[in-house]
Amino acid sequence: MGGPWRVAIAEASMVPVLQPGDWLLVNPLGREWPPVGSLVVFREPLSGTLAIKRVAGGPGDRVEFAGGFLTLDHDEAWLTADADASATAAAGFGPPIDSARFGPVPVENLVGRVLFRYGPARRVGRP
Amino acid sequence: MFMTRFVLDLLAPRTIVHAHCDLPCGVYDPEQARIEAESCYRVIEKYAASDDAAYRTRAIHIKEERADLVKHHLDVLWHDYFKPEHLDKVPNLHDLFWQATKQVSKVKASTDLADAKKLLDLIDEVDAAWKATGGLEKTRVNGRPS
Repeated sequence: MGGPWRVAIAEASMVPVLQPGDWLLVNPLGREWPPVGSLVVFREPLSGTLAIKRVAGGPGDRVEFAGGFLTLDHDEAWLTADADASATAAAGFGPPIDSARFGPVPVENLVGRVLFRYGPARRVGRP
Repeated sequence: MFMTRFVLDLLAPRTIVHAHCDLPCGVYDPEQARIEAESCYRVIEKYAASDDAAYRTRAIHIKEERADLVKHHLDVLWHDYFKPEHLDKVPNLHDLFWQATKQVSKVKASTDLADAKKLLDLIDEVDAAWKATGGLEKTRVNGRPS
């Protein structure tokens, strides 16, 4: 088992899909990046913080970065926030932090893929 | 009631994951912009006093870098420190920042000392607005060093 099965969300870079306080079921068994569009829990490069973002590009994909383009390596993904700076500001936070800040994420940092939201009761369902 | 709480405690995740955002540090001071603008002023003086072509080219490059930093620091103040309620105390706030950032662009393209001086004067007006809205007390850890 590579990580937790149940996690709670803090901060707001994934609003409106994920709200602070949501409880999620995570599958920590995958050893490859799931398809583009998937929500993943991972360890942020540099800081090691347990974080959540959406896969916006997988191995071999070409992504925009620092005014140019880069091609993701065989084990890398590009992870992005759902929210823009104005959405996070509305929730009382600074701009979102994602691959635009910390770059591509190697698969060794993958912790798990989000399966289901099981709390709070009014928000139960697949995010 | 007890059972509900028991079940909820049992189900509650033990792990927090961060939908990570920047945390504004809350420290703002127009002095940052002023120091970079003073660099522009001094570099223009040195540019004018030199007849070494390589030195003058470097001076222009450094002045443009510093001017970009002035604009960055002004933008941070404008977007992050100042709030709509500050317009009560500084009604010309937006016009002031518009003039100041336009003046930065002028300094970036100019070697006229008067342009750099005008930028310093505008930053002093921003400084006055920052003080008038409580910036000195609210945004520095121990106030400005004396």
